[in-house]
Amino acid sequence: MSVLNFLKPITVDQGASAQFVVMHPLDDLPEKKLDTSSLGPMRMTTSVRTSLMTLRCYLVLMMALVLYHVMDLAGVVGGHTAH
Amino acid sequence: MVMTVARYETQIDRTHTVSTLPARGRVVHSKWTRNIFTFLVVFGPGLIVMEADNDAGAVSTYVQAGAQYGTKLLWILLFLLPVTYFIQEMVVRLGIATGKGHATMIYERFGKWWGLFSLIDLQLVNFLTLITEFAAISLALSHMNVAPRVGVPLAAVGLTLMVLTGSYRRWERITVFLCLLDIAWVVIAYKLQPTSGGVLHDAFVPSVPAGGITAGLVFLVIAIVGTTIAPWQLFFQQSCVADKRLRFADLKWSRLDTLVGAVFTIVVAGCMMIAGNAANVHGIAFSDPAQMANDLRLFSGPAIRSGLLLLMINAAVLGTTAISLSSAWAYGEVKGWAHSLEMPIGKAKGFYATYVVCVTLAAAIVLIPGAPLQLIIIGVQVLAGIMLPSAIIFLQLLLNDKELLGERFANKAWNNWVNWTIIIVLFALSLVLAAQVTAPKLFPS
Repeated sequence: MSVLNFLKPITVDQGASAQFVVMHPLDDLPEKKLDTSSLGPMRMTTSVRTSLMTLRCYLVLMMALVLYHVMDLAGVVGGHTAH
Repeated sequence: MVMTVARYETQIDRTHTVSTLPARGRVVHSKWTRNIFTFLVVFGPGLIVMEADNDAGAVSTYVQAGAQYGTKLLWILLFLLPVTYFIQEMVVRLGIATGKGHATMIYERFGKWWGLFSLIDLQLVNFLTLITEFAAISLALSHMNVAPRVGVPLAAVGLTLMVLTGSYRRWERITVFLCLLDIAWVVIAYKLQPTSGGVLHDAFVPSVPAGGITAGLVFLVIAIVGTTIAPWQLFFQQSCVADKRLRFADLKWSRLDTLVGAVFTIVVAGCMMIAGNAANVHGIAFSDPAQMANDLRLFSGPAIRSGLLLLMINAAVLGTTAISLSSAWAYGEVKGWAHSLEMPIGKAKGFYATYVVCVTLAAAIVLIPGAPLQLIIIGVQVLAGIMLPSAIIFLQLLLNDKELLGERFANKAWNNWVNWTIIIVLFALSLVLAAQVTAPKLFPS
């Protein structure tokens, strides 16, 4: 059964005296979820590649800022004075 | 009559005996009652993830904003309401569709390098944040004449016992109760700010405080944004949704849970700002919220003081349990350990051990005399600044992964417009925040 069929509400003919049962998810039967483990890594489309590249640049920039701060505290750059 | 029911409900007619029903299901007779009860069983993760974000650091930030700028920054909170909802809604969709946590998804879809990066970053920033939570508990307790060396370990034991019951539901009920205790912020705000006209005006009409845009104001605005949206929230809610085994049909109720949580959290955050404004009105200068509570006693009475101190502890307790669980779930997922609050200790030793180690170590560090708490707070800001944009990028890419989620759960075009806008703004703000913390001389005062 495909996932979409699984998600589709069930339609049933029923009398006016219908009752409903509300189940807590932890008391309900486990639901079959989307299979993710067999997919492997995400396909590197242009948008995915661009996003990850932007993220890498961002991280490099952040590391540079942290390095600058450490060097500043050490008095190597910017003439930091200890209090 | 043709009736449509969601899959998770068993519909029966009166010819069937009740004994055929599952033992713990609740029989209801109308759609309205069904909807209310279904919402109530799904309710929890959304409220907890949002309200736990009003942790000790958030109390400090919002109160500081109120003390410096009165209620003039309330509109920012209102602006952040849809932002925080849209981000967490994506997490809910991903969690319900896959039944797996966020750390697992990053590992599976982006590979080991990014998975490890996210995990280490999360664990580090979470642990440093936990230290700040216990520091707040210690501070509030000392103002209540309780010795931190007694109160902090007791808090750590209580926080540990909360999760060791082997019942997700028990933990959730306790935590939801703690979240609802924060309604007391509304009462305190009402007592401290009897005129509501100015508050409503400042909440709905954006304005710049007197003095114009300064570096201090920019820093505070970024801090407000940073404290309202935190990286651990993504990991926490997805794992929580997976642990609660929410079903596909629960999606709309889980969205409502998240929306209710977001509204509640923003209201409470606004009340914190109003409490800070009271200090501003009475000319009270303070270095932390506990001191502010103490000094406000002179104008507002001892009940307000005690209430503020207890709420500060409650905020830190909520933050600690949620953040520690996000660490334990993420680590358990990646290591392949059993990782569920439904499991007894013996069957999920690694998961529970991670939680206990996080809580115990953070509490122990706070009790060390002369611990570098200021350095830790700066570390949290910098690491959160690095973590948030990267975590949201992964989330956005995962939600656009139609191979993984199909058309039903993947982002629609309008989702992407909204989310990419949020991401770009967060990227810019995080960058400015991190730059301001690491290289303050780059900015004019």
